Amino acid sequence: MTATKTPVTILTGFLGSGKTTLLNRILSEPHGRRIAVIENEYGEIGIDQGLVIAADEEIFEMSNGCICCTVRGDLIRILGSLAKRRERFDYVLVETTGLADPGPVAQTFFMDEDVRAHYVLDGIVTLVDALHIAQQLGHSRESAEQIAFADVLVLNKTDLVHSDRLLALEARLRGMNAMARIHRAEHAELPIERVLDLAAFDLDRALERKPSFLEPEYPFEWTGVFNLTPGRWTLSLTTGPDPSLALVGLPLADTSEPGLRAGAERCLRLFAEPARDLAPGDPLRLERHQRLPVPTEGGARFALDIGAPGYYAIYSQHLAEEFELAVCDEQDQPLAPECEHLWVAQHDHDDQVTSVGIELAGDLDAERLNRWLSQLLREQGPDIYRMKGFISLADAPERFVFQGVHMLFDGRPHTPWGDEPRYSQLVFIGRNLDRAALETGLRACLT
Amino acid sequence: MSDLKLLPRAIGVLEPPWRGRLGEYPRALVWSPAGDRLLTGDAAGTLTCFESRTGAVAWSVQAHADGILDLAVHPREARLASAGQDGRGRLWDLDGRASPRTLDADAAWVEHLAWSPAGDRLASASGRHVRFWTPEGELISRTPAHASAVSALAWCGQAELASACYGGLSFWDPAGGALRERLDWKGALISLAISPDGAIVAGGSQDRTVHFWRRLTAEDSMMSGYPGKPAALAFDSSARLLATSGAEYTTVWNFGGAGPEGSTPGLLEGHSEPITHLAFAHRGPRLATGAADAFVLVWDLDGDGQGRLVGAAPATGPVERLAWRGDDRALAAIDAAGGVTVWHCADALLSRRETAVAV
Repeated sequence: MTATKTPVTILTGFLGSGKTTLLNRILSEPHGRRIAVIENEYGEIGIDQGLVIAADEEIFEMSNGCICCTVRGDLIRILGSLAKRRERFDYVLVETTGLADPGPVAQTFFMDEDVRAHYVLDGIVTLVDALHIAQQLGHSRESAEQIAFADVLVLNKTDLVHSDRLLALEARLRGMNAMARIHRAEHAELPIERVLDLAAFDLDRALERKPSFLEPEYPFEWTGVFNLTPGRWTLSLTTGPDPSLALVGLPLADTSEPGLRAGAERCLRLFAEPARDLAPGDPLRLERHQRLPVPTEGGARFALDIGAPGYYAIYSQHLAEEFELAVCDEQDQPLAPECEHLWVAQHDHDDQVTSVGIELAGDLDAERLNRWLSQLLREQGPDIYRMKGFISLADAPERFVFQGVHMLFDGRPHTPWGDEPRYSQLVFIGRNLDRAALETGLRACLT
Repeated sequence: MSDLKLLPRAIGVLEPPWRGRLGEYPRALVWSPAGDRLLTGDAAGTLTCFESRTGAVAWSVQAHADGILDLAVHPREARLASAGQDGRGRLWDLDGRASPRTLDADAAWVEHLAWSPAGDRLASASGRHVRFWTPEGELISRTPAHASAVSALAWCGQAELASACYGGLSFWDPAGGALRERLDWKGALISLAISPDGAIVAGGSQDRTVHFWRRLTAEDSMMSGYPGKPAALAFDSSARLLATSGAEYTTVWNFGGAGPEGSTPGLLEGHSEPITHLAFAHRGPRLATGAADAFVLVWDLDGDGQGRLVGAAPATGPVERLAWRGDDRALAAIDAAGGVTVWHCADALLSRRETAVAV
């Protein structure tokens, strides 16, 4: 009896972060799915449609006393019962309370054989209230845990926060959870495919996404994408902390994150070429490494002639705000960027929850690795929320991919290495992680 | 709708008289006290009554707005209780007529029902509470809240009801709903069985163990090593053997001698997937097991819990529940594909026993 397993998305986030709004959006969109919702905060706003079941959070600890083995008893009962009338729905959303630790919810999908037989955890989506998250992180352990467990972070209520703060906030979230995708939203509005059908726990797709801290060090800190019509535009600067500012302008197909990253790779090569020094008033040229003089007082303006309508990105050496960098139209009105991206991690927060990524060339000894990992999880299991990556095991022709939630661990061989250089890449997300100790421990497993 | 057909593959003591089919996933199964009717409740809330002899559908009603989770038939009278995901319990006669009184709960689901042995009390579990009702549906009492949703109920003689939940077992006085005794256990109990003499209380646990208590001394023991959750437990009529699920095989603990602590249990191997339900015949050490492999097996056990396979037959899907008719001459099964099957089971073993009883 090998029926298809029903995917489940866990939706977490503090009270007021917009979970119910997102739920209602998902339920009312014409996606053709029949979604069952298991809800904890029944009646916060109320769910409009669909099969909604109210759950009464019951955390079951096991008799072995291991905190990492806790499950949600109410979910086991409800999911078990739902499985017996599955023809009425094909997707499940589990909404947790604002203060919930996502651990037991996620573990339920690994620990309970009946739940495992019928369901597969698709992903953990955490809504973040852009306006209040800084304050919440200061006061509650749970909000950091909800960020740490996430596969997708929806930075909501971005309309209430200035774009500079958003960029800093994104950088902070990336520092805590380097594996999650971050999407911005106003009123929890974002395409449904960004939160459903992520297959985030699918080992077959484990290699598709690179954790963000493994990005190369870029020679630029900021990107702004502008939607430009043909004609003459002006790039303006004022005084700033440096005498010059290097940048590259590029056309982009869209404003998506992959598009921005592809642009960043091209710019990386362009920045490697010698810069052309411009004088104030000079026209800017696209796809060129150029150095703009920063005036000591007043402003400097550079012409930007656009031939074809579309998105154009400015990859700039420093943050736009430091130089009041702006793209202005013929009436000299600044144009708001369609999106911005910050390429530097900001380490000005001492968040206890962090991501540690380790990349090591060479092969690992399976036995030593096993011993090290078991000991690590035994001692620090409660503090390690998520773990993911691939390793090169000695004598194994394939990459071994793995992932875990606390002490629960799932792994298997993936694609063969062939002639490619062999290396391992591990990501830990947890509390009080000791990067040096983790790296030393892993290095000791090298053959 | 019943689609009658013979089941050529039933072997041994199981003889195939009929099979019916429900449109939805069946959840609960009971025989009428006289054995002339078989009642099923399904995940769409339909209560269906089959003629035991022919398999014809005698009647069918929409009993609950949402799924039926449990059925309990009165031990003697033609009275049936049903529990639903619409948050209520209902009472029925065996002709499908509902009592105007509903057994309402303040939780989303009513999950478990149990009649006292004499039939003068009905216990219902919904959420964290147990309620006691008269056979006419008048509320007698309600227990205080349990630590979690109640996972199982069982009467311990006439005067006491046991309930299982996260954190242990509770024993309640049905008259006032007051707690008589608690047996604590740090773990989530998911199933419950009480030996017919009331001496042993056994609970299956979420963490893949079976825990049991000797009632007299409150001594407890834990049996571990199960690969899965022991969600089905059953005592035989002699109060000597406890059959437990939690694996592809059935583990039978023998309480007859010094054990079962330190003893080797009987292992009944025959299924290829985990056991989903098991039921002892009302008399004698005959056990029926159903599994996710969609088979029903019948075993005759010896005094040590070792078993001999005496019958086998396919269901149409993973077995959900099994029930022996009161005279043990028929066995019914419901399965995940909606199948309702009744096998006759009139073999030599029972005849011999009855002869012996008669002599």
